Amino acid sequence: MEAADRELMCSGHVGCPGCGATIAMRFFLKALGEKAVMVLPACCWSVIAGPFPQSSIKIPVIHAAFETGGATATGVRAALDMRGDTETTVVTWAGDGGTFDIGFQALSGAVERNEDFIYVCYDNEAYMNTGIQRSSSTPYGAWTTTTTGSDWKKLRKKNIVEALVAHRIPYAATANIAFPEDLMRKVKKAKAVKGSRFIHVFASCPTGWRIPSEMSVKIARMAVQTNIFPLYEVEDGVRYTINYKPREYLVREYFKLQGRFRHLSDADLDAIQEMVDEDWHLLLRKAGERA
Amino acid sequence: MDSGVAFKRRLYMPRTSMTTEGNRTGSWRFLRPRYEEKTSPCSAACPVGEDIPRVEMLVTQGAFKEAWETILLENPLPGVCGRVCFHPCEGKCNRKDFDTPVAIHTLERFLSDTAFRNETKPVLPRRPPTGKRVAVVGSGPAGLSAAWFLTILGYECDVLEAMEEAGGLLRWGIPEYRLPRSELQREIGRIVDEGVRIHTGERVKKERFEELRTRYDALLLGCGLWKNRPLGISGEDVPGVEDGLTFLRRVRGGERPAVGGVNAIIGGGNTAVDVARSVVRLGGEAVIVYRRRREDMPAFFEEIEGALEEGVEIKELLAPSSIAARNGGLVLTLRRMMIEGKDKDGRGRIVPAGTETLSLEVARVFVATGADTAETWHLPPAGNDKTIRLSRCLLSFEEGVPVAYVGDLAGGDLNVTAAIASGKEAVMALDSYFKGGCGTILEDLSSCRVGDGTSLSMEIYLGGARKARSRHVVTYEEINTDYFSFEPRITQPRLLPDERRLSFDEIEMKLSAGTAMREAGRCFNCGICNGCDNCWLYCPDVAVIRQRRSGERLIDYNYCKGCGLCVVECPRNAMALEEEGGS
Ligand SMILES: Cc1ncc(C[n+]2csc(CCOP(=O)(O)OP(=O)(O)O)c2C)c(N)n1
Ligand code: SF4
Ligand code: SF4
Ligand SMILES: [Mg+2]
Repeated sequence: MEAADRELMCSGHVGCPGCGATIAMRFFLKALGEKAVMVLPACCWSVIAGPFPQSSIKIPVIHAAFETGGATATGVRAALDMRGDTETTVVTWAGDGGTFDIGFQALSGAVERNEDFIYVCYDNEAYMNTGIQRSSSTPYGAWTTTTTGSDWKKLRKKNIVEALVAHRIPYAATANIAFPEDLMRKVKKAKAVKGSRFIHVFASCPTGWRIPSEMSVKIARMAVQTNIFPLYEVEDGVRYTINYKPREYLVREYFKLQGRFRHLSDADLDAIQEMVDEDWHLLLRKAGERA
Repeated sequence: MDSGVAFKRRLYMPRTSMTTEGNRTGSWRFLRPRYEEKTSPCSAACPVGEDIPRVEMLVTQGAFKEAWETILLENPLPGVCGRVCFHPCEGKCNRKDFDTPVAIHTLERFLSDTAFRNETKPVLPRRPPTGKRVAVVGSGPAGLSAAWFLTILGYECDVLEAMEEAGGLLRWGIPEYRLPRSELQREIGRIVDEGVRIHTGERVKKERFEELRTRYDALLLGCGLWKNRPLGISGEDVPGVEDGLTFLRRVRGGERPAVGGVNAIIGGGNTAVDVARSVVRLGGEAVIVYRRRREDMPAFFEEIEGALEEGVEIKELLAPSSIAARNGGLVLTLRRMMIEGKDKDGRGRIVPAGTETLSLEVARVFVATGADTAETWHLPPAGNDKTIRLSRCLLSFEEGVPVAYVGDLAGGDLNVTAAIASGKEAVMALDSYFKGGCGTILEDLSSCRVGDGTSLSMEIYLGGARKARSRHVVTYEEINTDYFSFEPRITQPRLLPDERRLSFDEIEMKLSAGTAMREAGRCFNCGICNGCDNCWLYCPDVAVIRQRRSGERLIDYNYCKGCGLCVVECPRNAMALEEEGGS
């Protein structure tokens, strides 16, 4: 069966209308196939996966504690290895909070040991499941329920891929729900690699971003088109490939569509544009490319 | 356990036993997406309402025969229109706001060329015979179109043509380099193959026309405008002053009139430009003299450009005031004009610029300032309670059997595609009349309008799939351009100007299938589903179902939460989102 036709996610889940994280999961599973076990630390997906005895995904899921994505996967991998099962892929599917913040230690430990698993962080840029609290993935300029009013977040988003790359893992990549082909290709590629693999998937959240549900793919796409979230992959911590070189789009186009950025002034947006440009040029340098 | 790990007690592992499919999340929905095909601006702008987005979709898939048949159901002459239509479709193409319009006319011609090369026989829907007979007078574009559609609708049809060969203006008025005779003959041959009888050399005079009334159930009169309109100036009748249309007819009849020296062509329409370009090909010099400015010329832009490339000169803002013979040649006296204010039709109003005149010594003068009906009875009767004027034709029920006045006689737009549209409209109106009387005509026709204009669709009239489309004309803003990238429009291969001056060979050359498919791939397919599957792919609720057999998609409202993503991510606005519980 063509990978894209395979359906391992079910209807009837309780994700919000237009949820980017569910689109991410659907594409991911299409490319991954069913020979896999998924570790799911606390996050929106813990809920979307269904209340016992229901499951919205057709592969085994192990619900794990919030901070243990890396450690639980390590254990599952070890158990499968003990049973001589080298075929089954172990996957951790965690939110940005569970990855950038509380789960970072377990993740760093696991990839430092080059544990054989795929870690996917679906990034909706805040702790959404508990009510939109800021995480270290929340971008500069964003409103969250813990960065309200004039106290909007004035710190930059942590660059998680670079942190993982610094561990020199065999494969690290970014992906985006608006680029399904690229996303599925990367999943298949990751599946074929041994050792620690990390995929950072940009997944919009209509509820937390204060955007209309029908715009969630469009806005995710714009994150790539504006260079806010470039699509690239890094092999063995050194070989960079940029997968998509956008035309000149201004970041303000992306910001002005989202309620969480409504308070930003033109000057703020100019400052953000500079940050984005700086990051992009840094990435180009790493990839040995020119603008 | 063999692994050596021993557990005191068996671990309790809760295992899920069912999917979430028992949750009918459709109850969350307050907006309802649905499939709704719409109308493309190109189709609405096409006088015959061709289903252009579908044609281009089929070309992209390499389904050339189906694409050609799709055109044939709306237009019996794609090989003609692909060459001589001024393609208003392209002017309205949404792609123009993105990069450049799709080369619709080039693809239309490609399909015709391909079908003829492969000797393809079209398979078209046809109504069973009605037992009714209709006579069509004139085999120009309007007459041929009427004959074709009459046949599709089950009428027996005789076409009576005065000349020795069918085609009317297409045969005798449009030069070979724009429309080769062989191409026209193939198109007419296909119409004949469909069952139309064309009787050439049958000039219908008034008495014969009266006789036809008694022998047929309806008559269509589409004999065009062939009588030169006089200039109304002195010297108009001196030898050396010729009628443009007659000249074109002679050339197309195979004559090669001598045109040495300078030839002045008076007029600014397509006939004037056709005469000028023919003169150039016969070795003469051509100067077009026009009362208004070049930008006011009714001739098609591409024709004017082509003429200039070939060395035709255009003198603007000059009105002829007299012609006189002198030294074996002619002296054309011209009055300088200027623009002052605007005419009722929005064009600049021309008035004499002082009293100054200018004289031009020329060998010949061609008059191409428009034409009238050859005989007065060709003119439709004045509007009264026994006539129905439609957008492009006039029906008269004055004396027994209905008579339809079509093409140029109907007094609308004077171009080939408008004439084809006129024949089609008249046939639909007659069919509607035969089925339900005069009272149903307007309603029947308006139910098969394409978009908001006057174009009519035979597919809709026949109750085909196109009937389900909404009239809404898709705008550029409604296209999700994220799914398209800039692609240059094909450049039509053409003969070089130097090559063109030497012969009447067709200027525009053929296209390869690969090039055609690439060009068709530029089409957004505005408003119609091309099966790209975006709606299916992006649905977060796995609620878009693809029917394996029919290839159709449908939405499972048990689960659809109404997020609207499918509607926004449909690149071509083939879906709609409406309030739940609405209409
Ligand atoms: C140790 C611990 N602290 C707090 C929580 C409560 N909690 C559950 S999910 C969640 C937020 C998860 O955020 P993120 O990882 O970004 O995933 P999202 O919900 O945004 O998808 C929190 C704080 C928890 N389950 N465990
Ligand atoms: S893009 Fe295609 S369907 Fe749309 S207007 Fe142009 S030719 Fe017609
Ligand atoms: S998204 Fe593609 S498949 Fe779905 S309706 Fe639009 S054109 Fe058709
Ligand atoms: Mg989150």
